[in-house]
Amino acid sequence: MLFKKKKKDIEDEHLKNLAKIVGQKSILHHKEDLLSYDCDGFTIHKSLPKAVIFPKNTEEVVAAVTYCSTHNIPFLARGAGTGLSGGAIPLHEEVVISLVKMKNLLSVDYENRQAVVQPGYVNLKLTNSISAKGYYYAPDPSSQYVCTIGGNVAENAGGAHCLKYGVTTNHILGLELVLPNGEIVEISENGVPDMPGYDLLGILTGSEGTLGIVTKITVRILKNPEGKKTVLAYFDRVEDGSHAVSDIISAGIVPAALEMMDHTAIEGVEAGAFPVGHPKGIEALLLIEVDGIIEGIDEQIDQILSVCRNHNVRDVKVARDEEERGRWWANRKTGFGAMGAISPDYLVQDGVIPRSTLPKVLNNIKEISNEYNLRIANIFHAGDGNLHPLILFDSRIEGETEKALKAGTACLKACADVGGSITGEHGVGIEKKEEMRFIFTDDELEAQIAIREVFNPNDLLNKGKLFPTPSRCMDIKKVIKETAAAQ
Amino acid sequence: MDKPLLDRKLLSIEESAVTFNNWSKNVRSPSTEVEVVEIIRSAYEKGQHVSLVSGGTKLGYGGVKSEYDLTLSLKDLKGIVEHTVGDMTVTVKPGTTMKELQDYLQNHNQMVALDPSWPEQATIGGIVASNDSGPKRLKYGSARDHVIGMRVVYPDGKVIRTGGKVVKNVAGYDMNKLLVGSMGTLGIITEITLKLRPVPKSENLIRLSVREEALDELKGYTKQIQDSMLEPVSLELVTPSLSQRLFHDEGYSLLIAFEDVEKSVDFQTNWVEQHKPAGVNYTTISNVKEFWNAFSEIHPNSLTDSKATQALLKVGTKNLDVFSILSECARIHHEGKVTIEAHGGAGHGLSTVFLEGDDAAIVNTINHLQHYAHTLKGYGVVKHLPFSLRQSVNVWGDEPSYFKIFEGIKHKHDPKNTLNEKRYIGGI
Ligand SMILES: Cc1cc2nc3c(=O)[nH]c(=O)nc-3n(C[C@H](O)[C@H](O)[C@H](O)COP(=O)(O)OP(=O)(O)OC[C@H]3O[C@@H](n4cnc5c(N)ncnc54)[C@H](O)[C@@H]3O)c2cc1C
Repeated sequence: MLFKKKKKDIEDEHLKNLAKIVGQKSILHHKEDLLSYDCDGFTIHKSLPKAVIFPKNTEEVVAAVTYCSTHNIPFLARGAGTGLSGGAIPLHEEVVISLVKMKNLLSVDYENRQAVVQPGYVNLKLTNSISAKGYYYAPDPSSQYVCTIGGNVAENAGGAHCLKYGVTTNHILGLELVLPNGEIVEISENGVPDMPGYDLLGILTGSEGTLGIVTKITVRILKNPEGKKTVLAYFDRVEDGSHAVSDIISAGIVPAALEMMDHTAIEGVEAGAFPVGHPKGIEALLLIEVDGIIEGIDEQIDQILSVCRNHNVRDVKVARDEEERGRWWANRKTGFGAMGAISPDYLVQDGVIPRSTLPKVLNNIKEISNEYNLRIANIFHAGDGNLHPLILFDSRIEGETEKALKAGTACLKACADVGGSITGEHGVGIEKKEEMRFIFTDDELEAQIAIREVFNPNDLLNKGKLFPTPSRCMDIKKVIKETAAAQ
Repeated sequence: MDKPLLDRKLLSIEESAVTFNNWSKNVRSPSTEVEVVEIIRSAYEKGQHVSLVSGGTKLGYGGVKSEYDLTLSLKDLKGIVEHTVGDMTVTVKPGTTMKELQDYLQNHNQMVALDPSWPEQATIGGIVASNDSGPKRLKYGSARDHVIGMRVVYPDGKVIRTGGKVVKNVAGYDMNKLLVGSMGTLGIITEITLKLRPVPKSENLIRLSVREEALDELKGYTKQIQDSMLEPVSLELVTPSLSQRLFHDEGYSLLIAFEDVEKSVDFQTNWVEQHKPAGVNYTTISNVKEFWNAFSEIHPNSLTDSKATQALLKVGTKNLDVFSILSECARIHHEGKVTIEAHGGAGHGLSTVFLEGDDAAIVNTINHLQHYAHTLKGYGVVKHLPFSLRQSVNVWGDEPSYFKIFEGIKHKHDPKNTLNEKRYIGGI
């Protein structure tokens, strides 16, 4: 006989009270329901939340946050859960506050070029909603068809076209935030620039959900460029591709996008869902886009073609039409996922280097790949030096996950060693906490932690993220202080 | 523009400080970061209060404290530290003037895409600390969009690096943003790394003008331009009084700049001419670079000499509300109690208002314009005013409801109020 098992009612007193705030239908608390929330796009570390709630408006967020903070219950915000550094993973049985029901476009003001959205609004929907009038929202992470603008603010997300147009932080005009104690803060609600006082929009964007929960966002929208042209260039040597990148930039061209893929990455995307028939045996490809006033584009494209030819390009072509351009971009933008076609598992890394060190660092990554005996594919934003080494591994093989993690760390070390950074757009989360030490001293980490203490003094919101834990220096200092005080 | 707008004879900082304050007789001018650390650590230990200065153009910008124990001048901490041409980044010390920096970069066909006022006197440290920007902000953004890293000396002498040397970076909190515009209240910036852009291959500047009564026509056309495919670098509206001084023309002007490859600039220039409504006059400005240089010096700073009382107000609103702000300025100007010249970016929402007149009228006008901006959900900040009058106005406007976050940030950085005490919003 088949019968549906009746799910148990909520027993926990706190969860009963939270259910009263958001409604019985907007809380998950059964283990089987919570399993989907035990990790985000960083799938290597998993741990279950206490519950997941789905507030429908700012008032419910305020009430839930106030409740949690009054009762000392850890909590964190979650958007679409596509984060790649584990920012939305509950490490302390948090109550996960999912913003996906707050998914409306609240208003668009074309004349003043701004739109107001709720945090759960999906990135690409904004562009789709305003494109009929010829406008778009510039930050375009590859995950834009699912990720939320709230998550983008938290991670300061970038994308292929951020080379010319800037990352999320350059497009945020105003924020409504619920502080960890439940207070609402409304910063520049009308999108007025340079509000007097410290730049809170700047510090909040990219704070990885550790300073407050964003409940409303005013973003800048842009007019579509009049024209776009896209170039695809194939090289037999990675060095040639890298030098072409440098020369395009030195020629005074500001491309809208300048992307690169290496041999292994090309193998992956060709095996994935959107192959475009790249020729065999290519060591590097460049995808280059120029946009702007149509009259000015052709001469820049000509310059790009001649730079590529000067660097022994095997073949270079300009997209014939929007359809072809679209196929090239789909091939690039689904690049991470495509690795699934050539490897059971893959780890996405995210380092940044000064552009001029590209050949050296790519070489180092090759050495790391050899040393760990793991294949590493490179798909990256070459124009701004933002590398994405994709470490291919098989978690079923004992010890290989750990090996992949170590290889990832080694890649980040290679970036840090040339004066780069350990993350350009995916954030630190839990994944790169220790690697923060590659680029920051203890004093510098403390200076940042001091900011968290201003917003999130009890560390109930998204605890254990972003900073090395335990911050050894701090703990030692604390002990010294305490001992001194005791004496 | 044929005549200089202000007396170009500049005062020394010492002379200027008599009127503008933010100054101590006890001045130290370190030329290395190590010296900065020594000086500030000792001041911190003694519980002293230190004012920071560099070029000296902004002594009139905020600050209601009558005496400091020490003034730390960063004017000798100057020079290019590192310029990686291929990476399009530059690291520079704070006392370098904007002009020195741009001249140096020009040799490599690169620039910092910022056009603040008084580039010959203003230093990059002061520009970043006060978040100054100019008409071209529409396309290029402001200091917060260009600064990618800094070295900062905290009041206790700790040296903290923020950001890095790469153009894209989300490791940890974006501490650069806190320092930009913090008016020296959080730390002493000893090195700044900036993102660069190529010098545009071609540029042009158009002036559209209308009679004063026909402002709506200009506004309509501004909207049409903004809704077109054009990519102006500036859409700077100028009041009739300022048009009079700059162009001997009694109406409103709109300065439309294009910077791109030549074909694109030409195309856009023609477009503006062809689509303009009948009531709008069109002229091009011949020597564009010279014009912008002169334009950067149309307002007073604390080094310019003046018998009359002068003030500058920065007004922030939504983009198109710049039209309302400027027409309100024109209305007040006609009342005749103060002289007002103003300009504002119709694509970025910031206006600069220059007032001259007697003390009481200036204070009243500042109060009025702050209130007026408030009704448009904007704000007004006093960028330049003698010390004696700064006590009678609310330089930074009202404190926001979340002011305690500002206090918290200040306290974490500067627990003893060592740096620029009372210079910033709410007496921070
Ligand atoms: C295939 C793939 C491709 C990707 N490509 C890119 C790319 O090109 N560029 C890029 O930058 N990233 C990319 N990402 C990473 C990811 O999509 C982004 O970081 C995105 O911004 C996360 O949004 P989300 O809604 O999924 O947030 P989540 O993963 O749910 O959350 C991310 C972090 O934000 C916090 N958060 C979420 N919402 C809020 C809120 N309202 N208030 C406060 N904090 C909040 C969470 O606590 C967490 O710390 C990619 C990911 C995948 C899986």
